[in-house]
Amino acid sequence: MSDDLDDIQAIFFEECAEGLATAESGLSAMAAGDVSAKVIAGVFRAVHSIKGGAGAFGHVALTAFSHRFENVLDEVRAGRIAPTPGVTRVMLTAFDILSDHVAASQGTKPVPADDAVLAALDQILVDGGAPDIVAEPMAVAVVAPMDDDPFGFEPVVAEVESFDPFGFEPVTVALDLLDDSVAEPVPWTVTFVPSNAALANGGEPMLIVRELEMLGGTVVAADLSRLPPLRDLEPEHAYIGWTLSLPGDVEEQAIADCFDFVAPNSIVEYARGVVVPEDAPVAAPVVEMLVATPIAPPAPLAVARPTAPPPASSPAARAEEHPEPVRAGEPVAQTIRVDLTKLDMLLNLVGELVIRGSILADRLSPKDQERVELPQLSRLTREIQDTVMSLRAQPIRQAFSRVPRMLRDLSVETGKQVILETIGETTEVDKGVIEKIGDPLTHMIRNAVDHGIESPERRLAAGKPVQGTIRLSAEQKGARIFVRVADDGAGIDRARVRAKAIEKGIVAADAVLTDEEIDQLICAPGFSTAETISNISGRGVGMDVVRSNVEALGGRVEISSVPGKGTTFTMVLPLTLAILEGMIVRLAGQRFVLPLANVIETVQPEPGQVRPTTTTGEVIELRGDYLPVRRLTRTFGLADNDALTPEESLVIIVESETAGHVGLMVDTIDDRREVVIKSLDQNLHPIRGLGGATILGDGSIALILDIEALVGPSAPLTRYTPKGLAA
Amino acid sequence: MSKTILTVDDSASMRMLLKASLTAQGFRIEAANDGRHGLERMSEVKPDLLITDINMPEMDGFELIEAVRAKPEFRGVPILVLSTEFSDEKKARARDAGATGWITKPFDAAKLGTAIRRVCP
Repeated sequence: MSDDLDDIQAIFFEECAEGLATAESGLSAMAAGDVSAKVIAGVFRAVHSIKGGAGAFGHVALTAFSHRFENVLDEVRAGRIAPTPGVTRVMLTAFDILSDHVAASQGTKPVPADDAVLAALDQILVDGGAPDIVAEPMAVAVVAPMDDDPFGFEPVVAEVESFDPFGFEPVTVALDLLDDSVAEPVPWTVTFVPSNAALANGGEPMLIVRELEMLGGTVVAADLSRLPPLRDLEPEHAYIGWTLSLPGDVEEQAIADCFDFVAPNSIVEYARGVVVPEDAPVAAPVVEMLVATPIAPPAPLAVARPTAPPPASSPAARAEEHPEPVRAGEPVAQTIRVDLTKLDMLLNLVGELVIRGSILADRLSPKDQERVELPQLSRLTREIQDTVMSLRAQPIRQAFSRVPRMLRDLSVETGKQVILETIGETTEVDKGVIEKIGDPLTHMIRNAVDHGIESPERRLAAGKPVQGTIRLSAEQKGARIFVRVADDGAGIDRARVRAKAIEKGIVAADAVLTDEEIDQLICAPGFSTAETISNISGRGVGMDVVRSNVEALGGRVEISSVPGKGTTFTMVLPLTLAILEGMIVRLAGQRFVLPLANVIETVQPEPGQVRPTTTTGEVIELRGDYLPVRRLTRTFGLADNDALTPEESLVIIVESETAGHVGLMVDTIDDRREVVIKSLDQNLHPIRGLGGATILGDGSIALILDIEALVGPSAPLTRYTPKGLAA
Repeated sequence: MSKTILTVDDSASMRMLLKASLTAQGFRIEAANDGRHGLERMSEVKPDLLITDINMPEMDGFELIEAVRAKPEFRGVPILVLSTEFSDEKKARARDAGATGWITKPFDAAKLGTAIRRVCP
């Protein structure tokens, strides 16, 4: 159960993330002036749901904070507090703290200090958010005489702390006047007369009587006086009342609990005392009965009242008070949740189907293929595959959602004013990709604010608007997603970048570099031009991390910059991590898949071009450079290693993060194609350099090479999985 | 025979939590993710008890209860509201719509079971 609970909790946190995204976009819309009921209701519901789940999972601080945030939202939703810019500002701050509370509940952040914002929220409840808006209706509700209230609205007074988490209505209160001198607890007398309508709404008064009996109660009298003649009897009306006697040691709360769901207008009384005589007028009106019922001294005092709803609940008043929120056209995606493993299973199966299809195509002549309608079948299969892929796709909005918050923080830290423009946030990308671009995106935004956007003074001096603009956009082109972060800042100072790179020994002092090459230096490991280590960029990670993260996803980072106009960083990402573009190579008769993203070029070595060295084995001479060469047949210990001379082989130059350019010697290249990545079962012993497997058109299995692990010095073992989710 | 309960809540974690706690207490649980879906599932599941949230997109709890009660075959089915809301006004409104009872979130699994047996023995 506790494992289950962890799983459920994980889903709760996903919902929190969605809720926060909804709340943030709603609050942003409110800040921008859209204070429609729909937007406010959306924000309210998001915060409300977070509160509900937080309570269920025992996150006390999160529950408490979201509750107080919700109180203000509820007032705004009900129109009792106007969503002025001031109020919205406080709510945006509250939103930030709420996000921190969610993170704290997940254990990824410390519990935030929320006193200040709670005080601000409470202040809004007191003064409506601004001194000039007098909270007239609220003040009146408390003080004004009730006759003035057109709806007969009854202010709820001081009953809040006696709130019973299960009660529909507060029920009868019995005053227990027993003192210590009484040794034996006096038995309870309970009178229960269900209202006429007690059988409506799925109610069943007999269940209450039975529950009282379970507590040890005995029915001592049944009042049949309201029972009409048979011909007038309404089968759905309740007519009978009961008087029960319960043992004195039953706790009062236990009796009260039995009446949790009692129908309104029922008579419920319970008091310690002797059993009412049989002929007591049980069904008499309540007030009379209180007088008429003889109660033995020391008289327990029973205060009984019909459990009538307050007058405020008259339909007209409610309709006036709470107009139905407009629900049509709400921007809430209609979704069902599917276990990701099921989706991946489906993806795997469709992958198999595609493979079986190509096996069939291999075995059948074109004429036979036509005869069995194989082309049509293949087209359908491909469509199914695309659809299943799209099921894993999610709007990139999720990755973008934390940017506004971050920009607000950055603005405060740097004193730079930044406007965010977001374009294409509905672009759909594989879930695995979305999960992995968060960090690179964060660095790119930080970098843009810290290094791109100038200080307000410098912007003014340059004749630009004081506020800088960062445009965050996403678009799909073919099988690639382009995510751009464009700023309108000063652009890359190439002279400074070049000087820095020379100083750091990244390039030679006399190197001739194009503008593009200089721009790329920003992503070189160990490069940083920030003159002071700022709080923002100086966190020990730089654009080199962005580049390596993106490349690990099979993508690349492009930089373009115009001096004085701004810089654009573009992440070019694959649509999915479940399909890989690979080069099929052959080693000692076996086929392997080499990810095309790593491949720089292939070389047919001339005699003498590959030569042995004393330390590292072999090198290849390539345009004046020497690159290390690995014979993969040796690496994997394949049977007929060294059967071929270098001249009979091919050397594929691959690029790795850790080892730079390395040559891999293979026997030959068979093909270049997209393959569906299959994970290697966890029960197989991991082999360095093998990341996964795929099934080729002829049904044979080919292992997928993991270049980083293969050529890197001690890169950790990684496995490709079809999910692309290997953490 | 174990009783069947239809739970309607837009939060998946809440649905799963309900399912886990109530299945353990011998109930059979079916779920729907909003009022509209809940109404559809009523006819299909024919539950012994309906437990619904209030704040949901696409037909909230009040609307769902009214719609369920409007169908003659469901007039006698007990309906419990399970919500973080607890204002008397909302409770009265749920009652008017046709709810049998109201339970405030967060819930304690054992107490929830007791409360359920109070209307659905």
